[in-house]
Amino acid sequence: MPELIKVRPTKIELVKLKRRLSLAQRVQKIVKDRLSILTMEFLQTARDTVEAKRKLLDELSKLYKALSVAAGYHGYIALEKELIATEVDLKVTAGLGNVAGVRIPSFELMGNTKPMRGYNLVDTSSWLDRAAQLSEEWLRAIVELAELQRNFELLAMEINRTKRITNALEYIVIPRLQATIHYLKMKFEERDREEKARLKRVKVLVARG
Amino acid sequence: MPKPLQDEVKQSPYERMLQECLSGELRIVNAGLPQSQKRLAALLNEKYPHVVCNDGSTHLFKKSELEYLASIIDTDEQKALPLPMLIELGANQAEAAIICEGKVEEKIISKALNMPVTCEERRIRIYKPQLALLRRKFKTTTVYVFSPKMVA
Repeated sequence: MPELIKVRPTKIELVKLKRRLSLAQRVQKIVKDRLSILTMEFLQTARDTVEAKRKLLDELSKLYKALSVAAGYHGYIALEKELIATEVDLKVTAGLGNVAGVRIPSFELMGNTKPMRGYNLVDTSSWLDRAAQLSEEWLRAIVELAELQRNFELLAMEINRTKRITNALEYIVIPRLQATIHYLKMKFEERDREEKARLKRVKVLVARG
Repeated sequence: MPKPLQDEVKQSPYERMLQECLSGELRIVNAGLPQSQKRLAALLNEKYPHVVCNDGSTHLFKKSELEYLASIIDTDEQKALPLPMLIELGANQAEAAIICEGKVEEKIISKALNMPVTCEERRIRIYKPQLALLRRKFKTTTVYVFSPKMVA
């Protein structure tokens, strides 16, 4: 039997409790909806994170291979000389988005679509072009992964919190309110019965008297 | 049978906290709604495309998403498309509804889901698995609305 809420056994309290119960039930529905949406988003983010990680590692291994070939072709010193010119400031736009009440970060690589192509095209080979192209893709992948990873953590935390609220509503708040309402109703019925019995007794006494 | 509870009148701190928590929860779910929507054409011209939310924070759109949207509709439709698109969640847990103003949303959702959809009473109704697909394509250009009217 759930614990009773400490209230005065009056009709006003009963009305108040009924209102609270209806509010709690509405909130429960909204919270459950929110939980299902958060879970859906979480699963999607988890899938995307795995995919992004796999892509990142693939691209990294391809990039190392391409860079090794380019280094072999040009030699380390020449390659380093060319790559000094490619140093550019990368711009990442960071903002916030909202998923069912959770503030999640959003990152996007901005500006130049080819940030790694600052070297001399005449003195370099297509091997370096390939390495540059792969490093650009890798940069995008790492920004994407950073966003997904953080979203994943934030959604997980929010799901935990929402689950606790849902459970509290389902197993504590609503049963307590229902039990108290039931108790108050029984109490009022009992009072009515007592009143009737008292009136009958008075009637008998009056008739005798 | 539990003991009668006539003496205590005041609400316990736990109960009070719970009430605050519940009302806070209602505030949280729709805090991220935009104060007003912006047209796609206007957002494409902004350096940092964003809208201001009800709680005063900003909701940033990804340029790549806006460009994708612009690529699937023509210029007149870009001027008519309000963003972010609102996805309404209500009583029926298996369904969601996209609030739409005209035919543009219909066209976009049809293309994104690769199936025909119809707009009835300013709503395009889709199922939850389709919602996941839609959200995957339009992460920043869609937001959820929890409608207490529909929940009641």
